[in-house]
Amino acid sequence: MKYFWKHWFLPLEKNNHRSALLRTNTLLILIAFYLFNHSLIKFISVIKPGILGYSSEITIQKVIDQTNQKRQEIGLKPLKYNSILSESATKKAQDMFTNNYWAHTSPTGTTPWDFFKSVGYKYSVAGENLARDFYDTDSLMKAWMNSPTHRDNIVNSKYQEIGIGVVNGVLGGIKTTLVVQHFGTPLVAIASDTKNVNTKQNTEVTLPADSQTQETTLNNQEIISLPQTPEVLSQQKKLISPLLLNKIISLVLFSLIITVLFIDGFVTLKNNHHRLTGSNIGHIGFLFMILLLIITSQQGAIF
Amino acid sequence: MIIPSEIKKKPFEYLFLVLFFTIGICFYLFAGLSSSNQRFVVISLGAGYFFWSLYHHYHRGDLSLSIIIEYLVFILFGIVLFSGTFF
Repeated sequence: MKYFWKHWFLPLEKNNHRSALLRTNTLLILIAFYLFNHSLIKFISVIKPGILGYSSEITIQKVIDQTNQKRQEIGLKPLKYNSILSESATKKAQDMFTNNYWAHTSPTGTTPWDFFKSVGYKYSVAGENLARDFYDTDSLMKAWMNSPTHRDNIVNSKYQEIGIGVVNGVLGGIKTTLVVQHFGTPLVAIASDTKNVNTKQNTEVTLPADSQTQETTLNNQEIISLPQTPEVLSQQKKLISPLLLNKIISLVLFSLIITVLFIDGFVTLKNNHHRLTGSNIGHIGFLFMILLLIITSQQGAIF
Repeated sequence: MIIPSEIKKKPFEYLFLVLFFTIGICFYLFAGLSSSNQRFVVISLGAGYFFWSLYHHYHRGDLSLSIIIEYLVFILFGIVLFSGTFF
């Protein structure tokens, strides 16, 4: 048993002075194992959507609180929660699941402004931010704030009200959470401010710049945000996101190989063995860089 | 502190590699890239590391097919796991 572990983790004469875990055939097996797991997780997500889940941390209240916090940090007034705007945001999220798209405008040409109109919200200015595949509100807000166009919507002084839609469903075969942020200033507010009831309706709209578009397929959907009462997603059944599961497996495999590279390099250096292999230091640097990118990268996508 | 002899022999090659990775990380994190461009950056970093390995081992005089395959497999390992995590 002791030899078994040594064989995999230490450079020995019997394994030709190279830890068995670092051999190219072992690494290829690990890659195959990872790809198999990746496919299995995706398969389970589609076949048994109840086993693996989606984000369980995002809350509507947190999104509103953090949005207002960002605005107050630069001296802007906080946005007022509007249940009608939440209704339009929720409708937008539902529509993306129903009509298989991930964009501001649907394939049939429905624009965000159609959702504002459908709930009877008459605006002078309006905007929309979209996000998907985030596990928690902090990461979601960080991604939006890091994007200049999304940030412009969050800290736009022209907006007075906000509504949030958070809808769970299956997009592209994977259960996910779509977050839609609708901003607006009602026409009445402008009219009463300016005493001019003849102000043109729907004068200005703002969308973040196009960053990426994904065609997706619909299987199932479930509304989890109530327009009048911000609801906490964690009250739902807690499930592990398939994206998080993939990330954990990647981190474990990276950590394992980097650790063995350290041990292998240290033992070889100590024993002063000369062997025909690649540079352990180079491998550690390359894998550590990728590990760092995985850890620091944002979780989901914004639009 | 133990400094591996390969670093002592070729310090500038390793310094170049560290700089290359650092620039890659900074570009990835702070350039506000879309997800497809992020993947492109990681693949480019892998390609850069592969060319560095060819140069490094050629100058060391031990460039062989087994070493080339080893680097390719390590790079493949990094890129596959990275891509699988986010895409």
